[in-house]
Amino acid sequence: MSEQYQRYLCLGCGFLYDELMGLPQHGIAPGTRWDQIPEDWVCPDCGTPKARFEMVVIPYAPGEPQSSSSNTF
Amino acid sequence: MQSFVLKAEERDHRKFMSTGEASSYVAGHPDAYITRHSSFNFGDYQTGRKGFGKVRVFGDEIFSKAGCGYNMHPHHDFIIMAFILEGELTHVNTLGKVDTLKAGDFYAFSAGSGGKHCELNIESQDLHVIYVWVIPGMLLLPPTYQRSHFNATTSCNKLTPLVGNDSSMPITQDLKISRLDTDAAATYEYKLASGNHGVYAFVIEGSMTCNGASLGKRDSTGIWETDKVTIQTGTERSDILIVETIM
Repeated sequence: MSEQYQRYLCLGCGFLYDELMGLPQHGIAPGTRWDQIPEDWVCPDCGTPKARFEMVVIPYAPGEPQSSSSNTF
Repeated sequence: MQSFVLKAEERDHRKFMSTGEASSYVAGHPDAYITRHSSFNFGDYQTGRKGFGKVRVFGDEIFSKAGCGYNMHPHHDFIIMAFILEGELTHVNTLGKVDTLKAGDFYAFSAGSGGKHCELNIESQDLHVIYVWVIPGMLLLPPTYQRSHFNATTSCNKLTPLVGNDSSMPITQDLKISRLDTDAAATYEYKLASGNHGVYAFVIEGSMTCNGASLGKRDSTGIWETDKVTIQTGTERSDILIVETIM
């Protein structure tokens, strides 16, 4: 079922939002769909607006994602 | 075949001061500033092309005045490359690398699972640099830093691979970057890896005719749905960067 979850890449810095994992450390629960995130949400790392993320279909490297914390530098 | 031509003056042009709004982002003395010409949409420039194949950023930048640059800031996943044209770049990253790059030097910093970098011109001479950002083939790879040098003398009049599978700098994407520095009239046939690949060719200096289009300094062209691209050079010195990417 996880195939239906999408991944979005920030075009300002490369920050990744994966719907499957959400961003619990930023108050977004796992499974939260991209269209459920407010339009005024911005990249937690660089402040790029939500509209400047791009949906990507790219596999994870072996062993990733270890946990949602691996996406927080 | 599909193609576009992007003239130098059609690119986005911005200036970022080290004071005021961008002061936490732009390093340097109060008189320092960065100028950036973007071939593709980036930051507040969103009315152009979104990119080309796996390329999302192609920035032709100048860091002016000592200390000018980008303060330490985070990235994930993008493969960020810098090609030094003039001046000197001091690059610092969280892989523990402090590097000094001069004309002809280039690096590929793959941010992967997370990394920060700082880009500085600590000399009084302007730094001229081209930044290329590429979407990776896999997410959250271990970060890496590679650097190399393009020797314009020994590589003169030769199509020289810099980045990608045919070079000493492999990256995790189906993308190659080559450079052609010429001082003689000649015709070069660039064969694409497949019909699903495209070429973005950018004139750093001089001029070229690419598939019939006459291009001058800092003009560029994107060409795809073809198996080859023909580049003709003249007798003046010309320096061309060629990015081939899966589309």
